[in-house]
Amino acid sequence: MAERSQTYLWAMRALFVGICTLFVFLRLLPLDTLPRGWAGPDFILAFTLAWGLRRPEFVPPLLVAAVFLLCDLLFHRPPGLWAALVLIGSQTLRARAPDLRDLTFPVEWVSVATTLAAMTIGYRLILGVLMVDQAPLGLSLMQMLMTLIAYPLVVLVSQSLLGVRKVAPGELDAMRPGS
Amino acid sequence: MAKDRNQDGDYSGQLRRLLVGVLLLCLLGLFLIWRIDSPRIERFRAQVIDRVVPSFDWAMAPVTGAVNIIHDFQSYQRIYQQNQELRRELQQMKAWKEAALQLEQENARLLDLNNVQLDPRLTFVTGVVLADSGSPFRQSVLINVGARDGIVDGWAAMDGLGLVGRISGVGDNTARVILLTDTSSHIPVTIEPSGQQALVSGDNTPSPTVSFIEAPDRVRPGDRLITSGDGGVFPAGLHVGQLAKDPGGRLRVRLSADYERLEFLRVLRNWRDERIADPGGLVTPFGPIPNPVTPEAAATGGITPEPADG
Repeated sequence: MAERSQTYLWAMRALFVGICTLFVFLRLLPLDTLPRGWAGPDFILAFTLAWGLRRPEFVPPLLVAAVFLLCDLLFHRPPGLWAALVLIGSQTLRARAPDLRDLTFPVEWVSVATTLAAMTIGYRLILGVLMVDQAPLGLSLMQMLMTLIAYPLVVLVSQSLLGVRKVAPGELDAMRPGS
Repeated sequence: MAKDRNQDGDYSGQLRRLLVGVLLLCLLGLFLIWRIDSPRIERFRAQVIDRVVPSFDWAMAPVTGAVNIIHDFQSYQRIYQQNQELRRELQQMKAWKEAALQLEQENARLLDLNNVQLDPRLTFVTGVVLADSGSPFRQSVLINVGARDGIVDGWAAMDGLGLVGRISGVGDNTARVILLTDTSSHIPVTIEPSGQQALVSGDNTPSPTVSFIEAPDRVRPGDRLITSGDGGVFPAGLHVGQLAKDPGGRLRVRLSADYERLEFLRVLRNWRDERIADPGGLVTPFGPIPNPVTPEAAATGGITPEPADG
């Protein structure tokens, strides 16, 4: 049993890395070199938060930090800052996860929304204080809203296709989160 | 095994918190170092990109090609119309070509008469666009030539028609081109034919703004913009685009380069011009003074010959 759950755990972690790689790849495709006036959702972030709320052991902190640091470097963002904020955000949500386990999806959505808003505002504040050039405010807000809109979809895909569900109370002892 | 972890759950929780703390310190430390000493971290970033992006290359080219075919498919629907338009344009172009050939000959004759020394022709390296910036906030592309091909930061990149951007960040096999539409791009230009100097600054829209014009009433929409070479970063005389006025009355540039399809970019090799730094030596009756002179030496050195005369 323990062996099987270990294999499963690592398989799901690998799946998470695979999903992130896929979205990085899609975003890097040189399709729209013309500046566009809109920003799409950040699917990598949505997956990280959704999985972190459901099965935190699939998205350990080290993995989150590594994935987002790589994204920072590839997407020409200031390296480290967004990764740190995502780490804080996902850990905050994880700490709240036991309370959210019994509640309905809208409550979870609201809690994700507040975390995301705090992360975005914090990001812009820190960049503003350190006088780093930053993107137009409208685009950041649009990306945040699109990520929130995409969140239920990401949850649906994770639950139905990928089998990332909340742990039922009885299973909790068997599936204790790994360090 | 699961039971063990259940027992030391508290311990592993603390361990996790410690790990998160250390990770946060590392990430924020990296960010602060980037803020303080940006070139070193940017070099690291270029190396990471150099390692990661080419490994996607085998999949990127076919996927990009497939998506572009789907885009193109829409234009097949009105192929007859396009054909007619192209024929008409071809007629006009032939007339222009004749005019251009005559002008070129005339220009060559006049240059010959005046014995003018022209700048040496710029040579270029052509690269293929590998990837774009991947975010709606930055406008840049990665090309598949880098330090191995002798690319240096700051060189200009063009497509066949006009200026596209400047090299910023060079890896071994890749280089990043910051496009003119990026918010961090500011290029000094000359507006022809009035000869006004101006600055083209990107603002995340398809047509960058033109600012700092000395006499805005002497320029009009449709004027050509070429790089002025001020500041010594770009060679002078690269075509940028045409001046246009937006509904708000701000002057913008309609870029000549085809930003919808950036596939191949030319990076112009630009070895900096020689600089003339010292003011030149004094010319005396005994010939020029051999050493470069400091002000005091010039004062004494200039006076000493006179007592010998008198």
